[in-house]
Amino acid sequence: MLVNEARQVLSRASSLAARHQLRAISSTTQLEQQAQPKAVPEPQIKKFEIYRWNPDNAGEKPYMQTYEINMRECGPMVLDALIKIKNEMDPTLTFRRSCREGICGSCAMNIGGTNTLACISKIDATSPKPLKVYPLPHMYVVRDLVPDMNNFYEQYKNIQPWLQRKNEAGEQKGKAQYLQSVEDRSKLDGLYECILCACCSTSCPSYWWNAEKYLGPAVLMQAYRWIIDSRDENTEERLSKLKDPFSVYRCHTIMNCTRTCPKGLNPGRAIAEIKKLLSGLASKPAPKLETAALHK
Amino acid sequence: MLSTVLLRGAARGNAAALLKSVRLTSLNSYSTIVANTQRQAVSKPLALAKQISPIVVRNISVSTPRMASATSSHTRLWTIERIVSAGLLAVIPAAFIAPSQVLDALLAISVVIHTHWGVEAMVVDYMRPSVVGNILPKVSHIALIIMSVATLGGLFYYIKNDVGLANGIKRFWAIKGKDSNQ
Repeated sequence: MLVNEARQVLSRASSLAARHQLRAISSTTQLEQQAQPKAVPEPQIKKFEIYRWNPDNAGEKPYMQTYEINMRECGPMVLDALIKIKNEMDPTLTFRRSCREGICGSCAMNIGGTNTLACISKIDATSPKPLKVYPLPHMYVVRDLVPDMNNFYEQYKNIQPWLQRKNEAGEQKGKAQYLQSVEDRSKLDGLYECILCACCSTSCPSYWWNAEKYLGPAVLMQAYRWIIDSRDENTEERLSKLKDPFSVYRCHTIMNCTRTCPKGLNPGRAIAEIKKLLSGLASKPAPKLETAALHK
Repeated sequence: MLSTVLLRGAARGNAAALLKSVRLTSLNSYSTIVANTQRQAVSKPLALAKQISPIVVRNISVSTPRMASATSSHTRLWTIERIVSAGLLAVIPAAFIAPSQVLDALLAISVVIHTHWGVEAMVVDYMRPSVVGNILPKVSHIALIIMSVATLGGLFYYIKNDVGLANGIKRFWAIKGKDSNQ
């Protein structure tokens, strides 16, 4: 018994001594650290001028509000700054955002004079100029940076963005796949990536002036995506819906759409291809594979 | 109705007082909340009359796109426009290299119609009924047609009764200043 107790006491004493030693070492290192204080980085202030308008304040005109952000405490993208402002400075600031990685198209806005996605546009923290943020140009504003997209979505609906076949009865849906050759599929590259953020349409002067009649680059590129799809058989009907003077032909090849596209796509080219198909200068090639072969 | 509004105002006032008494003003968000509630509390009694009146509904435009021009086809005109544009590349040099009445007439027609289509696009884009009313777009379109026809007529007259279009333009290079004559 006694021997055991003695052992325990001894071990306790040794462990205590060890702990004291450790503490002594760590405290000295702490002291050394305190003696040389870390260089605290100077705050790097970046000014943001943001378009504000609230429909609830009747009669109030839109105005620009300036926010100052320390870039040392903020993420690199404009969306990070907007979220920081909303979280810490002004909860009334309103904007759309979702995926924060450039795939949903919610945060499309006019940043520094260019239509782009806030989540993938870097803040130039070194520039002393304030960064100006507006909603997408020439759209009705719902509030602050939120534009009214109803017309845009209605136009997208208007081009019937889904696969259409003539022989609906013979090809039971979901029974088998439609075939498409690799070459035919590659025609959809550069078209299907569009996220419908409306950056291109709202950068187009023709769309500014005739938004209710001209379909705009984003919608026309999707129209072309379905026209040129080798599996789609409603090409004639799709084209005949576009041949009026406004739907397509208000495009004057200004090419703002291609220049501004945050996904690097080329809607201007797609519209030119539609015009070629309409005028008969080009025609849709026959599918390389028999599309409905597996349905037989 | 009135009593509930008053009560809500009172509750807001209390919330503001509470937040103030806690003194967490170092946090910016709290300070904005306090500022907002204070502002609301101050403005509430004044805005009471407004509150009781029926709520004003703000309509957001949800109109479907007007496909007014969906019936007419613009395809052929577009094709002709492209042919004329491409043709100008050949007609302009040809008219100057080998001046003749036929080539002059061709040059006059193609240049005038090309300009006409360009200005027409501007009229359609900038003279919109939704902006300038229903009369001005028609007036400017008719004025444009009259101007184009007059220009073409004038050029034809010049080609028929004078040295011709290409030769006329070439004469500008023959103009000498007073100094060079001496």
